[in-house]
Amino acid sequence: MPEAEAIRLAQQGDAAAFERLYRLHNRRVYSLCLRMVSNTAEAEDLTQEAFLQLFRKIATFRGESAFSTWLHRLAVNVVLMKLRKKSGNESSLEELTEPDEDSGGPRRDFGGPDLRLSGSIDRVNLQRAVDQLPPGYKSVFVLHDVQGYEHNEIAEIMDCSIGNSKSQLHKARMRLRELLHEALRAQAREDRKAASADSGGKD
Amino acid sequence: MATITCREFQAYLEPWMEGERPQDVQAHLRTCPHCSSVVSDLELIHTEASSWNAAEQDAPERVWTSLRAQLEQEGLIRETIPEHEDAAKVQAPRTGWFSNLFPQLPRPVLAGAYLAALVAVAFALSGPVNKRVNEARWLKGTQTSTSPLSAQLNFAEQNSNTYIARSNPDVTASLHQNLALVDKYIALCEKSVNEEPQNEVARDYLYEAYQQKADLLTQMTERGENVQ
Repeated sequence: MPEAEAIRLAQQGDAAAFERLYRLHNRRVYSLCLRMVSNTAEAEDLTQEAFLQLFRKIATFRGESAFSTWLHRLAVNVVLMKLRKKSGNESSLEELTEPDEDSGGPRRDFGGPDLRLSGSIDRVNLQRAVDQLPPGYKSVFVLHDVQGYEHNEIAEIMDCSIGNSKSQLHKARMRLRELLHEALRAQAREDRKAASADSGGKD
Repeated sequence: MATITCREFQAYLEPWMEGERPQDVQAHLRTCPHCSSVVSDLELIHTEASSWNAAEQDAPERVWTSLRAQLEQEGLIRETIPEHEDAAKVQAPRTGWFSNLFPQLPRPVLAGAYLAALVAVAFALSGPVNKRVNEARWLKGTQTSTSPLSAQLNFAEQNSNTYIARSNPDVTASLHQNLALVDKYIALCEKSVNEEPQNEVARDYLYEAYQQKADLLTQMTERGENVQ
């Protein structure tokens, strides 16, 4: 069943059409949710909530934007709502140490450590760094670098300007670079401690 | 060629990552290890993140199962609608049923058509025409017309069970499952009508729900007959 037909039938409440739309789009929505919350149970709940909202509102879809764009906007809003609720419950110290999303430029950019990221970036440590990004940066980063959306699509999904999308992406990447370097330095300190403990033991 | 400073390069970094390649920026990167390492790091981050796309997987099946149950509970979905039928207009009974209404007891295969007629008549009596005449009487009509109708459907369900028992057990189980879903939908609609008897949309939904049950019972009875 083509997507356009499935949308038409789903707007009449057809169960098979609902399922068709779900099968077509669940992977991207689930992946987005998973990248944003890094917890499979939460990602499943968010995926279900996003589709539930979609199907409740499907009768209002007029085709002014692409269906997938509309769906992803719903999904991003569901995720951001969840993240903002969570951050409201966390300690204020964490809010203070996170960079303000609207401030201009990263806190530290050049003249940094000699350590290079080459050979040090892998899925695990990059995901850990992504987890630490503020929700707005994280959304744009996941949509652009992970899921491959263009800035004009992200602008529609996030209801922002293209310029804003580019700016948020740049800030997200710079922040990730800082976080990865901090992790590298922490690892280097641990390695030195371990090495001196070993040599101290051998004396 | 004039070169730029590291501080000036900061302003060009974002456009550089978007693909812009001014010559003076290129020249600076050729000679500045710090700025070139920043560019290299950002490109690595982008490349690693892009590879995650390939590992994307569908959500576990339980997400769909739970979602579907929720949609059914909210009455948002129903079984596949045939191409030629407009589900929004469940009004006149099926073509040809009038000729099957005889004084003698209808055969089981006609029970569904009989029920469909009953549903149509009951709601015509409690519909907007009566509302204009006497609102109090219409409200009473809406509230009372559903009770005997519901009883008729329950009676028909008991009769259908006799016939469906002759079918394949898997088919029987599936039909009973569908019946349970429709009953849930009816309960939801009845609740809405009881809470808002003046709500015509709620009444229409209840009408459609009863129609669905009547159709399902017809199917069940026909299957049982064909197995004989």
